[in-house]
Amino acid sequence: MNGWLVGAAVLLVVGMLPAVVVASRGHVLDRLAGLAMAGMVATLDILLLSEGYQRSSYVDAGLVLAALSLTGSLVFARLVVRQ
Amino acid sequence: MTPLEIGLLVLGIGAVALSCLGLLTARDTYLRLHYLGPASSLGTPLIIAAMVMHEGLSFSAVKLVLIGVLLVGSGAVTVAAFGRATAQRQGLVETDSPA
Repeated sequence: MNGWLVGAAVLLVVGMLPAVVVASRGHVLDRLAGLAMAGMVATLDILLLSEGYQRSSYVDAGLVLAALSLTGSLVFARLVVRQ
Repeated sequence: MTPLEIGLLVLGIGAVALSCLGLLTARDTYLRLHYLGPASSLGTPLIIAAMVMHEGLSFSAVKLVLIGVLLVGSGAVTVAAFGRATAQRQGLVETDSPA
């Protein structure tokens, strides 16, 4: 287990867990903030895993997730206002 | 991994982790939105810098930089959009106001 995989594991526990907790309770915009943070942490985690496993093709998944996460957040923010 | 890469990685993960814990403990929506900033504008560039230094000059490093720019930009845009949506739901800003 190299440093990149350790970093990915740490980020999953201390980064993803609080973000998921925030995204699963409270006001709708609080949940959206948790969702945006979870998307960012997931992207960074995929990049760290690609580095740890020496699979550069995994970086493409991170690129797609980064783009879709931004789009999804903006669409959600727009729909929440119209609600 | 060189010591510099380890240092950048630890600092980046620390910044993201502290932001996530701050997001969890904040009580107000606006305060929560503040914690999205450091994760995208501080933690992400540090982690990406560690990976780019490890990769060296390659096509993969270019993709990593592209993802970093996308994440830094998306963090700022997301905070602004959520802040505006929150203000509109609270009636502080008109829903159809362009500014």
